[in-house]
Amino acid sequence: MAGNFWQSSHFQQWLLDRQDLDRERQADLKIMNEEGYEKCMIFFANFIQALGEQLKVRQQVIATATVYFKRFYARNSLKCIDPWLMAPTCIFLASKVEEFGVISNSRLITTCQTVVKNKFSHAYPQEYPYRITNVLECEFYLLEMMDCCLVVYHPYRPLVQYVSDISSTDDSILPLAWRIVNDSLRTDVSLLYPPYLIALSALHIACVIQQKDLKQWFAELSVDMDKILEITRQILHLYDLWRAYDEKKEIAAVLQNMPKPKTSPSPPPQTQGQENTNQQQT
Amino acid sequence: MQHAQPSSSHSGGGPIRQPNRHEDLEFPYCPDSNKYEKLAKIGQGTFGEVFKARDRKTKQVVAMKKVLMENEKEGFPITALREIKILQLLKNENVVNLIEICRTKATPYNRFKSTFYLIFEFCEHDLAGLLSNVNVKFSLGEIKKVMQQLLNGLYYIHTNNILHRDMKAANILITKAGVLKMADFGLARALSHITKYTNRVVTLWYRPPELLLGERNYGSPIDIWGAGCIMAEMWTRSPIMQGKTEQHQLTLISQLCGSIKPEVWPGCDKLELYSKLEIPDGHKRKVKERLKPYVKDQYALDLLDKLLCLDPSRRIDSDTALNHDFFWEDPAPQDLSRMLSQHSTSMFEFLAPPRRLNNYRPAMPPQAKHQPNMDQHFERVF
Repeated sequence: MAGNFWQSSHFQQWLLDRQDLDRERQADLKIMNEEGYEKCMIFFANFIQALGEQLKVRQQVIATATVYFKRFYARNSLKCIDPWLMAPTCIFLASKVEEFGVISNSRLITTCQTVVKNKFSHAYPQEYPYRITNVLECEFYLLEMMDCCLVVYHPYRPLVQYVSDISSTDDSILPLAWRIVNDSLRTDVSLLYPPYLIALSALHIACVIQQKDLKQWFAELSVDMDKILEITRQILHLYDLWRAYDEKKEIAAVLQNMPKPKTSPSPPPQTQGQENTNQQQT
Repeated sequence: MQHAQPSSSHSGGGPIRQPNRHEDLEFPYCPDSNKYEKLAKIGQGTFGEVFKARDRKTKQVVAMKKVLMENEKEGFPITALREIKILQLLKNENVVNLIEICRTKATPYNRFKSTFYLIFEFCEHDLAGLLSNVNVKFSLGEIKKVMQQLLNGLYYIHTNNILHRDMKAANILITKAGVLKMADFGLARALSHITKYTNRVVTLWYRPPELLLGERNYGSPIDIWGAGCIMAEMWTRSPIMQGKTEQHQLTLISQLCGSIKPEVWPGCDKLELYSKLEIPDGHKRKVKERLKPYVKDQYALDLLDKLLCLDPSRRIDSDTALNHDFFWEDPAPQDLSRMLSQHSTSMFEFLAPPRRLNNYRPAMPPQAKHQPNMDQHFERVF
């Protein structure tokens, strides 16, 4: 969307600092370790990506949905709302906000069922449990929690501008940096840094991989190189994590340790569930 | 109070899953709408009712716009999402200010769905309400001030790549201090280069010829046309072209602005509906001539002529319009606060008796090919 990042709610309300993020995460980290938490977030980003691809939405929608997801859990414990429900809700809302239209209710749920069954059965062997009423309700919680800050700025646009500014004859840089930006959605950087810095970091990594010397260009930018290096470190940390771990084999155990709602995801006796909710709301 | 039945929507069978909402799920972000006390209903927006309300603590008076959940399948309405994201982006003296978003608490009684309200700064009047009151008289300087603020607002939103898409007098708010605020961004959209937009926008009477002819790749000139209609209305006091159907609207436009043909508007014959609608032939452009009885000022007539230009690519833009002699020749634009201070009650179109024909806002415009009796309306357009 058009507009000025520096006047946006993204900049004003949704650039968190590391300490803030760590503090909010404390409760969950008592139950699972930091690496487990990271693996969880990577896993659900992958789930959102798979849903988005199956629904054939643009990458922009997937990216926005992933940031919504991360914003929610930056402020809430994983046990507040089951991430298996939050993921499709984020796609549903992001699709409307990014002007991709309303995803039909039945298509959304069918897609969840298919994707879980075909691609994530190693992590979720049961049938996908949620109904559209759950998604519509969850959308309200998501909107409230984000204080209706809907517009998310992504690194893609600045990235394209930087690459065209470099005016390099080497056209492998943009696709590589683009993929690094996609990967960066699996880290916390989108919650911590403005998108243009993430774009620069992705560009930086891409140049190192392609052994392309852009020192001069970066020097003339007069941006805070320390920040770029911080982002780079976090992205490289993701790659290290990925290299050392087999998600298919290990994720079930990780999710087992994930903080869960007290009412179990399997159907509780209805009367009891109803009582609980009444109590909490009064 | 009766106890809510366990959610009936679950009775259709299938596993019942309680959505996992929990004790520790608290939302300190959207304030509770209870902090405002509703005073009166003042209008009906694109997606819900509007109330005048007061902050119980600060006593600040605000307008509360309820987000109507009409289509349950859609979830939170896309029109409301657009209005929220656009208004969070736009901060300008001449654009209504979104203060915050509130919600009612989710309880079992509303099936855990809260109602959302958009909270706006309160404006005492809307332009349609003011124009329908014969006791409200605008001097030439005051009309200039209204138009200057309107064009300034348009300049701001257009430079931010936003189209309003629902220009009309009822959507132009005016505070008692005389500050104009564009409102109701429920149909507004961000401009992009790839999308084809729907042409089912803009209230019929303010709809420009390119939309009537089916253009889907339109831009800021559609709002400028509306500004032209509103400017003329400052003198005529009622909408200048009150068509009953799209065909009729096109006929009224041709009678005022001349026949629509490629000689005055290159490429108009390529538009989708050009061959499907009846394009009235043989009309000369009479904008200045027809408006002269109402508008004595030569500069005003000249600006009107440029705002109501058939060809969108040659229609004046807001920046150029703001530099027009109209605003720089005597009398100078004059503040509205003095004139408005003589009126102590709010004037909104919603509360005013209908002006002329009933408010006509076609949801599904009829497919009319023929519009009989068109010429009868000719005399009574203004």
